[in-house]
Amino acid sequence: MKKYDYIVVGSGCAGLSAALELAVSKKKVLLIEQHNIPGGCATGFVRGRFEFDPSLHELCGVGSAENPGGTREIFNRYGVDVDWIEATDCFRVISKYSDGTAMDVTMPSGKDAFVDKMEYYVPGSKDAMLRFFDLMQNIDDGLAYLSSDNINPANIFKEYMPMVRSGGYNTTDVLNALCLPEKAKDILSVYWSYLGVDMDNLSFLHYASMVNSYVKFSAYFPKHTSHEISVKMAERLRELGGEIMMGCRAEEFLFSGDRCYAVRTNLGTFVAENAILANINPDIIFGRMIPPELVPAREKKLCDARKRKLGARMFTAYFGLNKTAEELGIKDYSIFFPQGSDSVAEYNSLKRISTNNYSIFLCYNVHNPDFSPEGTSVCSFTTMFTSSTDFDNLRQEDYYKLKTAMAKKFINTLKEKTGIDISDAIEEITIASPYTFARYLNAPEGAVYGYETREWDGIIARTIEMTMGLDYKVKGLYPIGTNGVRGDGYSSAYADGQIIAQKAMADSEKEGK
Amino acid sequence: MAMKFGVKSTAADIKKFTSLITNREAAIRKAKANDINPSFRINELARKYHPDYQKMIISEIISHEGADAKTFVFKKADGSEAAFFRAGQYVSVLLKIDGSLVTRPYSICSSPLEAKQGIVKITVRNVKDGFAAPYMLENFKIGDEIKISGPEGTFYYEELRDAENVIAIAGGSGITPFLSMAYAIRDGLEDFNLTILFGSRTEENILFRNELEAVAKECDKIKVVNVLSDEKKKGYENGFINAKLIKKYAPEGKYSIFMCGPEAMYRFAEKEIEKLGIEKKFIRRELLGVTKKVASLEDYPKEAAGKVFDVKVIIGENEYNIKANADEPVLAAIEKAGIPAPSRCRSGECGWCRSKLVSGNAYTPKENEGRRFTDIEFGYIHPCAAFPLSDMVIEVPGSYMK
Ligand SMILES: Cc1cc2nc3c(=O)[nH]c(=O)nc-3n(C[C@H](O)[C@H](O)[C@H](O)COP(=O)(O)OP(=O)(O)OC[C@H]3O[C@@H](n4cnc5c(N)ncnc54)[C@H](O)[C@@H]3O)c2cc1C
Ligand code: FES
Repeated sequence: MKKYDYIVVGSGCAGLSAALELAVSKKKVLLIEQHNIPGGCATGFVRGRFEFDPSLHELCGVGSAENPGGTREIFNRYGVDVDWIEATDCFRVISKYSDGTAMDVTMPSGKDAFVDKMEYYVPGSKDAMLRFFDLMQNIDDGLAYLSSDNINPANIFKEYMPMVRSGGYNTTDVLNALCLPEKAKDILSVYWSYLGVDMDNLSFLHYASMVNSYVKFSAYFPKHTSHEISVKMAERLRELGGEIMMGCRAEEFLFSGDRCYAVRTNLGTFVAENAILANINPDIIFGRMIPPELVPAREKKLCDARKRKLGARMFTAYFGLNKTAEELGIKDYSIFFPQGSDSVAEYNSLKRISTNNYSIFLCYNVHNPDFSPEGTSVCSFTTMFTSSTDFDNLRQEDYYKLKTAMAKKFINTLKEKTGIDISDAIEEITIASPYTFARYLNAPEGAVYGYETREWDGIIARTIEMTMGLDYKVKGLYPIGTNGVRGDGYSSAYADGQIIAQKAMADSEKEGK
Repeated sequence: MAMKFGVKSTAADIKKFTSLITNREAAIRKAKANDINPSFRINELARKYHPDYQKMIISEIISHEGADAKTFVFKKADGSEAAFFRAGQYVSVLLKIDGSLVTRPYSICSSPLEAKQGIVKITVRNVKDGFAAPYMLENFKIGDEIKISGPEGTFYYEELRDAENVIAIAGGSGITPFLSMAYAIRDGLEDFNLTILFGSRTEENILFRNELEAVAKECDKIKVVNVLSDEKKKGYENGFINAKLIKKYAPEGKYSIFMCGPEAMYRFAEKEIEKLGIEKKFIRRELLGVTKKVASLEDYPKEAAGKVFDVKVIIGENEYNIKANADEPVLAAIEKAGIPAPSRCRSGECGWCRSKLVSGNAYTPKENEGRRFTDIEFGYIHPCAAFPLSDMVIEVPGSYMK
């Protein structure tokens, strides 16, 4: 039996960054993955002459080489060189303002451009928008300070008071306190769906750290699907001496006393001298993969308190088109089609198949003409389902019909709202549903965002819990991923993998290993 | 200037902030320490429809004498439903033959409705100098236990992409996915007009002649035209399926062409279809498999032909040293050594066999290129469609169907 310092189970975004963090810290690492490709959500698939990205719209916090954001810094730290493409606009949204008038707005990235464009759409918004950005910057700096090594509590109250004073509130409350004009708030509400929690329940700190990063650092995506990111991370891990086993599924974690020391897989049992980091939902780890008597009571209670309130389940249709974006009249990388500006109403409508009329359209070729072969383009539509029981008893024959019906709805929405008609250009089509993600990722209910980051289970509460050491779990076993301190999204998962890997190493050191 | 911001009073705001953690603690404290239920409804259904593999029992064997083929009726061993599928999909059959561990893809020829009774049928036609097909035809008995994959492949009707009228071009055992499509149309699961141009050598050779006739009679959306290459007979078309014949049966306006048959048929039909000037998106072809004559491909590096190479195969902690012939895909060498390796389509497309080429070189025919962009850049191969050009070391993923 081979021994490793650390074993990382699952090569999703969090698993890959955790493995790299351990490897750059000169630890002997084994990364195992049940599939034959790394990445989890961050992958790519081929149909005909097209390669598709199943999940990534835009990656947060990359920034340019000269002005790197946190995500690019993680990649730089690991020596992973991705061919990034910048999405120069934040988004276009076609919807309705809360007063019922039509909204068709395109917001650029860059703080100044964003503020100016808002002033153009909503005259008189500028001062409040500047306050909004100042607040977001204070929060950014404050959160960075909180995760630095030497924290002086007095300093927090001195320098980062705006963060503290907004930190307990939901996004709606804070936008109101900023005295933003109604229409500006409507436009700013578009981002809620990236986090899957409506504005009334979304922690402002969570919202602000994402929005600030998107606007400040612009959004990026890799030239050749997220598979490019994941393969490059995996290859870098090999270079750093890490080992990878594909087609290797963890069945059970083995314990010596109360300490996890090994993982049993279809390819054998592997021992970790220090710890195992598992990129698996905690309910599956603690419900099925460790001896019941060793499951901490706190973990059971946390599960019970969450009441299975899982976050967004994606439903996505991918199209390979036999015309170019230009020929089809597609000019925007990403267009949001909400029903209106009330995120609470929207959130509720996404519980049922029959009332879900939301979608986000995306066309990679707009910024990356080489994304698909000459004369073609690739686009996708995504909606999500908030906790929904509609998928619990769907018959298979109805499932296929549902996929087609949803795809038709997407195509029609685009046509009605923009005049762009892709229906005659479809050469390849694939549709992924909550079942698809459940099967491929093992994510409960196919909820790729993990548990909803709302109220007491928001990321700030999770972070404080960890900082205070209240979250003590099981010796030698650390869950990583979207249920962690950073919540959902690629950038959050990369950060979580890194944070928890550092924590695991620090814990080991304390134990004298 | 330092920024100032507050929602309510300073005290209220600070209290609100600290309540984040006290609320979390309270929510957890109040909850019950029940055992965690790790099963989720959507995941259970997903596993049912996409199993690692399905354990089947051969419940019936039907011989098609003139066609040198047999239909094997598989029934789910535990009596449960078989994974539902789209008509046109295939299953991968796992076989242990004299120390080899191989898979073979076979289109499902039964109606998806039968999956609900746990039934999946495949039809195996004999292959001269074949390995798996003759073995199955000779050795499969009623009651044998067989492992098959879940449904795989994308060769099925897609309303949003395909034309309402589909001209199917079938050769020999290539009729199987179309038989399933015909049943699915009859059973109300699919809705399109299917005209099958079916090439056989002689009348006697026609596979499923009665079944096709019957289903065409039952449902007016289905039409079957038999085309005999080696025989002139009344009531049949004669010769090969060419552009003229397709035009004769094609409707006015748009139509899709779906092709499934032997390599020779594809090569002939593709040239004929070109003459029709149909948009590429309306031409769909079932997987090709890989060529038996790799050395005859234009861009093949001829100097490798006929050589035998040493290959080190790494799976997890295990290493195997095997020999591989230049004229066979690497996967074939792995299977001959009895090493369990994942595979499904065996045509380079599905990516199931994706492996890391640690050292050495391999040749992938253009027509089997189904790799992702970054995989090509970083030396990953699909061993089912990669021919060795040198000694090599490869890392192969573990397999769940073995
Ligand atoms: C999607 C799809 C659907 C299909 N559906 C049908 C269908 O419905 N009906 C039908 O009849 N056919 C169907 N086919 C074709 C069918 O899969 C092939 O005819 C069948 O695989 C032939 O298998 P074979 O082993 O007899 O021949 P081959 O695969 O040609 O046999 C030779 C192969 O076996 C290997 N081999 C030889 N000796 C050994 C050994 N000792 N150990 C291991 N390997 C060895 C060789 O290297 C070589 O690769 C389908 C094919 C595809 C791709
Ligand atoms: S088995 Fe499908 S690509 Fe190799």
